[in-house]
Amino acid sequence: MENLTLTPDMVTATASLGVNLRQAEPVVLYHLARETLEASPEATGLLKRLSETQANVRTRQTRGEVTPEDMAGLRAVQREVQTNPVIRQFAQTQQAALGYLREVNHDISELLGTDFGALAKKPGCC
Amino acid sequence: MSIDTLSPLELASPTVVSRAAHDFAAVLAATGPFMALEAASDRLRQDRAAQHAMQAYQAKQQSLQAVLMLNALSTDEQTELEHLREAFLAEPAVTAYLQAEADLRTMCQAAADRLSEHVGLNFASACNAGCC
Repeated sequence: MENLTLTPDMVTATASLGVNLRQAEPVVLYHLARETLEASPEATGLLKRLSETQANVRTRQTRGEVTPEDMAGLRAVQREVQTNPVIRQFAQTQQAALGYLREVNHDISELLGTDFGALAKKPGCC
Repeated sequence: MSIDTLSPLELASPTVVSRAAHDFAAVLAATGPFMALEAASDRLRQDRAAQHAMQAYQAKQQSLQAVLMLNALSTDEQTELEHLREAFLAEPAVTAYLQAEADLRTMCQAAADRLSEHVGLNFASACNAGCC
């Protein structure tokens, strides 16, 4: 399907940029932090607990049953997540990698005279 | 594994990435869809009928801005605005421009999908931060 829309030159240039981006330091650091996160039962457990607590509070909110204790419990899990060093490292490297991709897109867009990222955005991608 | 344990050969230097980005932009700029959009854009700028239709639509929109913001258009106003919009979109130069833009978008989306697969992060979403 993609080959129908990309010329052979585009396939080559895209692959070359993709390989180099994957080996760029901010992206490498992001993947290292992600591996560390995935290997940490404490960090993944905390994220799971946060997700479950948020879902629980949302459900109780729709029923009008949220108590101050529910909110205090949610804030406590949020604090634990925010102070977990593995999760913090993951979040920081992810932001840095995304910022780096924006810089690369800026360079590409300057050369093209049009915003490549905006053209590449799919409708409803958010 | 940490960044310190990686050899410099395993990392792409900023110069190498910059060159790859430059090459990518050059190849993209030379593709049919990119050149077609530039040609369609030139044609649209020079097409008097299309420019006239666009100005008529924009002028009506501006004159109705206050009621538009209040979502209080009368049926007649709504019909007139819609006719002007349809007339603008029916201009051949506009149709050609929109088709060229759609073709280029399809190609850029395919390229960005491939970049995302390599990088492990969504390239297009990263570049459109704040769109949500």
